[in-house]
Amino acid sequence: MKPLLKNSSILLAVILLVALTLPLYAGEYYIHIGVMVLFYAYMAVAWNILGGYAGQHSLGHSLFMGIGAYTSTYLFSVMGITPWLGMWVGGALAGVMGLFVGYLCFRYGLKGPYFALVTIALAEAAVYIATNAEGIGGAQGLSVAWTGNAPEMMQFNGKGGYYYVILVMTVAAIVLSTWIIRRRFGYQLLAVRENEDAAEALGVDTLRVKVQASIISAMLTALGGTFFAQYFTYINPRNVFGEGPSIQILLFAIIGGLGTVWGPVVGALVLVPVAELSRGWLGGSFSGAHILLYGTVMVLVMLFMPNGIVGLYEKIRQRIQNRNEKSEVA
Amino acid sequence: MLEVSKLRRDFGGLTAVHDLTFKVEAGEIVGLIGPNGAGKTTTFSMLAGFIPPTSGDIVFQGKSILGLKPHQVCKLGVTRTFQIVQPFPDMTILENVMVGAYARYTGTVDARRKALEVLERVNLAHKANTLGKNLNLLELKRLEIGKALATEPSLLLLDEVAAGLKDAEVDNILVLVRQLNKEGITFLIVEHLMKVIMNLSHRVIVLDFGQMIAQGTPDEITKDPAVLEAYLGKEA
Ligand SMILES: Nc1ncnc2c1ncn2[C@@H]1O[C@H](COP(=O)(O)OP(=O)(O)O)[C@@H](O)[C@H]1O
Ligand SMILES: [Mg+2]
Repeated sequence: MKPLLKNSSILLAVILLVALTLPLYAGEYYIHIGVMVLFYAYMAVAWNILGGYAGQHSLGHSLFMGIGAYTSTYLFSVMGITPWLGMWVGGALAGVMGLFVGYLCFRYGLKGPYFALVTIALAEAAVYIATNAEGIGGAQGLSVAWTGNAPEMMQFNGKGGYYYVILVMTVAAIVLSTWIIRRRFGYQLLAVRENEDAAEALGVDTLRVKVQASIISAMLTALGGTFFAQYFTYINPRNVFGEGPSIQILLFAIIGGLGTVWGPVVGALVLVPVAELSRGWLGGSFSGAHILLYGTVMVLVMLFMPNGIVGLYEKIRQRIQNRNEKSEVA
Repeated sequence: MLEVSKLRRDFGGLTAVHDLTFKVEAGEIVGLIGPNGAGKTTTFSMLAGFIPPTSGDIVFQGKSILGLKPHQVCKLGVTRTFQIVQPFPDMTILENVMVGAYARYTGTVDARRKALEVLERVNLAHKANTLGKNLNLLELKRLEIGKALATEPSLLLLDEVAAGLKDAEVDNILVLVRQLNKEGITFLIVEHLMKVIMNLSHRVIVLDFGQMIAQGTPDEITKDPAVLEAYLGKEA
């Protein structure tokens, strides 16, 4: 096990080094792919705290992303408040929403598909409300006013600045997610996912920890929503509250490996480039071909890696470890 | 320590537990027996806060625990095991037990130390890094006890922990329970195996159709005509 552990920390160091230096040598297009990888990794890590650790599969996380995006954009464009501040206001509002949704659902014992359906319904309701709220741009949505290269307003010339913002956010989210899973709260979340009755019998306040996970996950997701708005400089009800982002976020978490720290990151790292590059290469010539390729990759992953990419890695690691132990005994 | 009075639970038209009244004193091992469907598991579920009684009261250490949730009951010192084992399948055995230990210890270092201690006692230390889903029945039964023990209960409710085990394995559990009892844990034990009940219990309560039909020492119980009738049919 030792050498493997060493290998993985070397691997981690290499990845971090590449990640840190990418904008120095990569062109704008590849930096953009890097931004997308990090953004979805970040969002999937945030989703995973509720969906993966606690096992409560939200299909409506765009609700929180939209709250973050709309709050900071409204504060910025209408009132001139910097998104660096606005993102925390959005995060707080999303946290309150996460508390509301979590308490509402879990207090009444909603689980599995029922919980998923409620989250979809709430996100759809948000699309509807935002579409009809003229004060926040209605169906047109909001544009983020361009103030020039202004890091203090989370605006940058070129993509490098955005890249480093989302890199820091993603690393912070991974650190938080790792910290959570190593302490009491994390163990209790896993226990809830694995068997709620058994968890309760052992003194776990299952309602409380689920609601807490919902709040944390919602807040993190909203911060990501602010980044999304700043990066694309335009939001509308469909592209932040709609089902598109909700599904994207959870796909990466599931394909990477649910409930593990690295699963969501690996999922985004593998799939986002496939999606972006195939769109770039195939999108022009055969429209739709990139979706076909993307879909094929996803089906293959699900067929051959039911526990995600990280699940497969763990399995191989176990095998090697078992073989080593056997040969040591022999 | 535990006072149950007129405890009753209806499921639709069926009365699973019917005005059950009994006491458990600190330090005792009390056996709860009765034919299948007598209401033993339902009684446990009510004691541990999993299902609300239709009527009656449960007093633990002088306070009613009616209306408390299972995790609150656990914090007060009453922990149950499940007749149908309930491991956390994708967590290691150590992690399974740590979940229980976290009921008393907020720090991970302390919880892990407690869990390792418990694993030694239930003979699972060598399986610490095995996943819950990879255990056999005997190990799962031991894990069930281990998880509960880690919560440091003062009253432990064991629901058929010996069912399905071989003789030697049952003996292991007898030794463990007796030892834990000496260390101060009070037990209420549901068990089908008479050997377990007769060997361990200071006192036995017999249920039939949700009602107590007898109570006494193991010896008295085996001679009680009502008990013989419930177990052996009408010939008594
Ligand atoms: N959740 C439930 N809903 C309906 N009936 C139940 C439920 N749980 C138990 N029962 C019924 O209550 C009676 C007592 O069951 P139980 O407490 O499991 O008995 P025991 O553990 O003594 O075998 C049985 O007739 C059983 O079918
Ligand atoms: Mg039973």
